[in-house]
Amino acid sequence: MATLRLPAPLRDKLISAAQTGYPDEVCGLLLGRQDADAVTVCAVHAARNVHPDRTADRFLIEAQDYLDAEYEAAASGLQVVGVWHSHPDHPPRPSATDREFAWAGWSYPIVAVNAGVATELRSWRLEGETFDEEEVLS
Amino acid sequence: MSRVIVRIPTPLRSYTDGADEVEVEAATVGDALQALAHRHEGLLSRVCAADGSLRPFVNIYLGADNIRDLGGLAVALPHDGAVLAIVPAVAGGAGGARERRITELKASVPEVGPREALAQQAQGAALIDVREADEIAQGSPRGAFRLGRGFLELRVEEAIPDTDRPLLIMCGGGVRSLFAAEGLQRLGYRKVASVAGGFSRWKAEGLPFETPRGLDPHARERYARHLTMPEVGEAGQRRLLDSRVLLIGAGGLGSPAALYLAAAGVGTLGIVDHDVVDRSNLQRQILHNDERIGQPKVDSARRTLQGLNPSVDIATWAERLTSANVERILEGYDVVVDGSDNFPTRYLVNDACVRLQIPCVHGSVYRFEGQVTVFWPAYPTRRGPCYRCLYPEPPPAEFAPSCADAGVLGVLPGVVGLLEAVETIKLLLGLGDPLVGRLLHYDALRARFDEYRLAANPDCALCAEGRAFPGYVDYDAFCATAA
Repeated sequence: MATLRLPAPLRDKLISAAQTGYPDEVCGLLLGRQDADAVTVCAVHAARNVHPDRTADRFLIEAQDYLDAEYEAAASGLQVVGVWHSHPDHPPRPSATDREFAWAGWSYPIVAVNAGVATELRSWRLEGETFDEEEVLS
Repeated sequence: MSRVIVRIPTPLRSYTDGADEVEVEAATVGDALQALAHRHEGLLSRVCAADGSLRPFVNIYLGADNIRDLGGLAVALPHDGAVLAIVPAVAGGAGGARERRITELKASVPEVGPREALAQQAQGAALIDVREADEIAQGSPRGAFRLGRGFLELRVEEAIPDTDRPLLIMCGGGVRSLFAAEGLQRLGYRKVASVAGGFSRWKAEGLPFETPRGLDPHARERYARHLTMPEVGEAGQRRLLDSRVLLIGAGGLGSPAALYLAAAGVGTLGIVDHDVVDRSNLQRQILHNDERIGQPKVDSARRTLQGLNPSVDIATWAERLTSANVERILEGYDVVVDGSDNFPTRYLVNDACVRLQIPCVHGSVYRFEGQVTVFWPAYPTRRGPCYRCLYPEPPPAEFAPSCADAGVLGVLPGVVGLLEAVETIKLLLGLGDPLVGRLLHYDALRARFDEYRLAANPDCALCAEGRAFPGYVDYDAFCATAA
């Protein structure tokens, strides 16, 4: 099982953003380092959910926000290592849509938010055509 | 030509040995991508579709502008040092109700690939194809249970009683099978898996399948009430369509039997009757009508039955059964329905049925009473008699009045002929308990059905074990003399 190191302050940031944005899906990019045994998140980059019509159950990151994240990462010697998003009133498992749009090599943490309260965070990586869960350490 | 810097997003850096930017010389955005592809194999296919257009999941920015807004891949590069950024669409989401359900199902239903499914089937797992009939008509794995999705939970127990038997559920693409699999889990089946990718993938991987003969849309509509009965269903209807039933007589008993057997879709109906339609027949012989008085009964019957169900093949013999033609006519039929009104014919039919091992559904009527039985000594489940076991020889003519002499309540042959039709369908489909060794007697005045046991005669000249066939007898001469 792959490992994602997500320090507690950053994890809190995701959870807080997910709750604030509820009932819409909230999304953002993870900047960090990819080592042999683990991915370490060093910063989170906020991104706007610009999905044209279904922000409650879909997300689409504004391209400019993605570009900014790339530049910010490069400036700090980091990489974009993943994308996180929230699942309002839904378990933190990747959906068919998530799989359809997923890129190999990235971590996909998902925060479940039930009735406005974040209840669970789990992270996934695309392996071939399916998502495998990865361990989340602080 | 300009020198441009192409920024590579992290998901594509595996193609550029980890480099986050690559410098190329090009005149347009499209050229720049081609130059990039030339240097880094595999990258172009992630960015462009096979036709060269930009893939929908990818955007390319020239400076701060999306090139889709500037005119696409043909956009000219302005100056040395311009920056082109490949930006992956970053998207996803929990999805709508359907996607959420599918995600939940995938978490609770194991999936196996088609190859694994085939291997498990060979080891005894039951492969259940839950696709619609029109899909199955295009092909279905060999040995699959084709139970349909709609009635799956209602029918599966009969087909697969063992809830510990591993089940592999297949649909077209692997989604409907998830729903079906969950339904079966709830029924108590403990080892249920869905075949990932469904029949599409099964076929694409070159695994064996067959093309079962299906029913065309007209047949599907016509026999809809049969198809919804699990005891008949598509396989049963197919069997009826492939069946051949011979009716001896297109009279009082043959009329209702023929009408319902044609309506039910028995594929071939043979009719033997030498007579012509008489006005006095019309009180009970509902195949015929007033306009056809004087016409051969077999022609009248053909017209009526084809009007009811044009897909039925009608074979007719406008002749009297004799020892010379009886085998030729009966040969190849699955069931014979005896609606004859005279002893010579009855004995010929019985003897030929015994010899050819064809079940003979026998009916007779007399005034207010009727009786039905099935003579079939070769019935595998139970040894019943043939007609000669009960009546080795015909009675003297004076003890055997025909309808013409004795009269019959017109509706009575309707009841008895339909009981014969019911027995026929049961025999064709292998349903229930046929009237072999049992005689059902109907008394219309008392409105009672009684059942009598009929035993085979161990010394029967015709059907007893080891007896050589004694030959056919034409009793016509005998009766004619007696009359």
